[in-house]
Amino acid sequence: MEILKAEELSKTYGRGETKVEALKKVSFSVSKGEFISIVGPSGSGKSTLLNLLGALDTPTSGKVFLNGRDVFTMQEKELAVLRRRNIGFIFQAYNLVPELNIEENIVLPLLLDYKKPEQHYIDELLDMLGLTERKYHLPNQLSGGQQQRVAIGRALASKPAIILADEPTGNLDSKNSREVIDLMRLSVEKYKQTLIMITHDQNYASFADRVFQVEDGIVTELGGGRR
Amino acid sequence: MKSYLTLVNRYLTAQKKKTWLVIVGTAIAVALVTGVFSMLDVFLQFEKLQVIHDYGNYHLAVKDASDKEISYIKSRIDVQNSGSWKDLGYGTINGLDCKLGALDQAFAGNMNIKVIQGKHPTAENEIMLEKWATESLYLNSSIGDSIRITFPDSTQREFIVSGIYNDIGNMKAAGVPGVFLSTAGADRLTSIKSNLYLVEFKKRVNINKAVEEIKTVLNITDDRIGLNNRLLAVIGQSRHNAAIGLYATGAVLFCIVLTAGVVMIYNTFNISVMERVRQFGLLRCIGASQSQIRKLVRREGVAITLRAIPLGIAAGIMMTFACSALLKYFNNTIFGEIPLFTISFIGIAGGVITGLLTVFIASFLPARKAAQVPPVNAVTGSKDFKISKVRKYSFLTKVLRVEAAMGVNNAVMKKRTFVLMSCSIAISITMFLGFNVFVDFMHTSLKTTKPYTPDISLASEQGIDHQVHFSLQAIGGVKRVYGRMFSYVDAAFDASRLSDTYKESMKGIAVKDNGLFVPTEKSWLISYDASQLNWAKADLIAGEISEDEINANNGVIAVAQQLRRNISTETANLKLGDKIYINTPAGVEELTVMGILRSVPFNSKELTLTTFITTEEIFTNLTDESVFKAIDIQLKKKNDEQAVNAIKGLVNDTISFRDMRQKNSEINQTFLTMAVFVYGFVGVIALISILNIINTMNTSIASKTRYLGIMRAVGMSGDQLNKMVLTEAAAYNLAGCLAGCVLGIALQKLLITNYLSSFHIVWKFPLYQIILILIITLLVTVLSVISPLKRIRARGISEVVNAL
Repeated sequence: MEILKAEELSKTYGRGETKVEALKKVSFSVSKGEFISIVGPSGSGKSTLLNLLGALDTPTSGKVFLNGRDVFTMQEKELAVLRRRNIGFIFQAYNLVPELNIEENIVLPLLLDYKKPEQHYIDELLDMLGLTERKYHLPNQLSGGQQQRVAIGRALASKPAIILADEPTGNLDSKNSREVIDLMRLSVEKYKQTLIMITHDQNYASFADRVFQVEDGIVTELGGGRR
Repeated sequence: MKSYLTLVNRYLTAQKKKTWLVIVGTAIAVALVTGVFSMLDVFLQFEKLQVIHDYGNYHLAVKDASDKEISYIKSRIDVQNSGSWKDLGYGTINGLDCKLGALDQAFAGNMNIKVIQGKHPTAENEIMLEKWATESLYLNSSIGDSIRITFPDSTQREFIVSGIYNDIGNMKAAGVPGVFLSTAGADRLTSIKSNLYLVEFKKRVNINKAVEEIKTVLNITDDRIGLNNRLLAVIGQSRHNAAIGLYATGAVLFCIVLTAGVVMIYNTFNISVMERVRQFGLLRCIGASQSQIRKLVRREGVAITLRAIPLGIAAGIMMTFACSALLKYFNNTIFGEIPLFTISFIGIAGGVITGLLTVFIASFLPARKAAQVPPVNAVTGSKDFKISKVRKYSFLTKVLRVEAAMGVNNAVMKKRTFVLMSCSIAISITMFLGFNVFVDFMHTSLKTTKPYTPDISLASEQGIDHQVHFSLQAIGGVKRVYGRMFSYVDAAFDASRLSDTYKESMKGIAVKDNGLFVPTEKSWLISYDASQLNWAKADLIAGEISEDEINANNGVIAVAQQLRRNISTETANLKLGDKIYINTPAGVEELTVMGILRSVPFNSKELTLTTFITTEEIFTNLTDESVFKAIDIQLKKKNDEQAVNAIKGLVNDTISFRDMRQKNSEINQTFLTMAVFVYGFVGVIALISILNIINTMNTSIASKTRYLGIMRAVGMSGDQLNKMVLTEAAAYNLAGCLAGCVLGIALQKLLITNYLSSFHIVWKFPLYQIILILIITLLVTVLSVISPLKRIRARGISEVVNAL
């Protein structure tokens, strides 16, 4: 079942001499439960693509369909709801809210949705992430790997259909990176989610069902990884 | 955590320093509004008592009211008290000049007449005397004594003293006691000068409407109606032009205070919200909708206001308290009924409403901006603001060193912040300049005692010889004794110097062949001693004053303005070096004008052409007179009764003793009441403005902590950092200062020419004020950046850079 579809997606920054074409007419589709990894040199347009897929940014032209709905025709209000219910983001720089403790950071998307967090599910998440004992700590009391695990927890909290991860291991050492990747794979399998992840590491890319290569704004599919 | 809105409290507690700055910024603005409005409220309460003390507690005066009219007015439900006041003109009492009057007992308190001994006169042959006049020096009488009064129509009658009442400053200073007859006694007289029926209305009565009603019902013409305009003015009911001008000025200035409060709070909020663009973007990424972001920002605004408003109001009340305490300390008799801690509901309501309303507006707009932040900004990081003018920057680096160029650039790039910061400073300055109008108003409309004002004045037609002068000087508590000799002389000078108005009023002046005119009026010649000459320098408009020079060159000092029939006029336009020819017993003497004074602080009894002042030596040479007509005495301690009694001991029948102290202190008191508040307003505004600038700079630097950290990380030295921040602060302040001065000057001019012209205030370019503002702004700029920079430099670079 097709969950995400990009159609002739283009993004141009600047104009005139400073014009940069970050993405050039990119089209592809992703099925439910797939694990996609995106690779490519820096500046190739990977992040732009991911931001567009997550409706964080608007394209110059083209469309993104999520569950068959055209994302960019939606009102800002609907988009916010869409993001909080269907998409989970994981950033390279973690981007946790520094004033909130670990548990609060994780349940924040649910609170934004005016939902009462299911304590049992949150405990399960914390346990899976190995953060149960740290749940009352503030982000700056945690190591990078732990912070990224919190970010994963936050992305999973609302049980979104799609998780978008922008170099989630970019700031981590190999041991922590390995843990984070394993965690993501585990959760995707457990909750039947779709994962789209940018990575530099060919190793991790090989875990994916499909690998997209982005170069100079053009996306080419490199075929299956592990499976 | 039950709701995402908890984030607000978490943020406020986590970012203590920043939260505190925003609270202080808001509190300052609330304090400004509360302070100024409460001070105005309390000022009017004080001023009302002051006016009642100075002019009497009545609103309406009806001239020659008939019995029918009186009974109608008395029976009106809106009338609190009323009574008749009859002016019986001047007479003599046991040979002493006195002012005669009659006043209803019921209304005496309203007119500040308080019986301190005996009772108010009721029988036809009873009178009441002023306390000081009963002393042995004057009438030497006490209650029950019989006393003889000569009325203006020369009739004489015997009276019995039934009461003694409090001293009236003016009467005491003039040496003319006030004598009250009973109303029954006054009715028997034919020589009533004026007969007023005074009315005090109840509180909260629409007085203008009531007066109109009385006029129509009783069919009273306007010329029989008098209003106590000063009292009406302070209770906000005057329709007099001057009062309306003042109301308008007040209204404009208080609107500016409100605007200032709004701009200050808005500015603080704008800075605080804008620095968190990235955080809001992040929240958007994880699914916060725009309205949720708005709610967050607004909730934060409310949380801050709830903490800032009580603080601001407390500060505002303290300011008012300081003013009240000061005035009550100086005069608790007049202001006894005003409590020390006056809670002004207008002030507090003003503060609360401004605070809440502004925070609502101030957080509404930045909240909208914050909500519109594209979520992608959070992911990509540093897109907090757009850099649009790249060219300017490269131009600046050519002219300035790099750190200064960056400072200017930082200020100018963020247009919105720049405008807000400068506005916040500009409005403070405008407000300061605007309120200074009240200082001008106060100085032109109220007098204070001058260095030359005497405590005791002795005057004598026959003259007081120098022996008395020396004896006075020998008295222990006497600080200074200075006498004046007066003479009326025939003085001639070049006819062309006479003013046209004078020539017209004299219907032609004869001119001799040598160009001198033939004087038809005498001129007043006054002698000054060294200290009086010294004091006169304050009024000098041309030339110089030096006793030795005048003596050496046979000099005189001319006086430009003469008081003729109570109107200040210029009869002659004398220039330095003009020759004056005075007829003396020994023939005509030639004198030279060596200085010109604006005016002299006393009036001639006779109508004179002009006034000349010279030294005692020249005066005696010219007139052969050497006795003083007046001797003024200043005491070391104003209430040194022993010294006063010693002075009284030197006074004989030919000398009249005038005790000016009560009048002087009343004049000062009237001035002080207004000055405390006028300077209070200006001071509060200056203080608030300075605090506002310091706080704004603090907030602005705190919000750039990360940016400054990055600058240090890429190799900017501490000194360069200081310079960069300082230039940025200077850019804000300079722009604000310029805009503020221009607006402030325009405002001053507008207020003075449009609303205050009836007070004879002339607008002048406020050079000193502008210089003061520039100096203070510069100092404050430097002061305001020192401590936040110190804090930033004390923290580790990595710590600062990694702060979200």
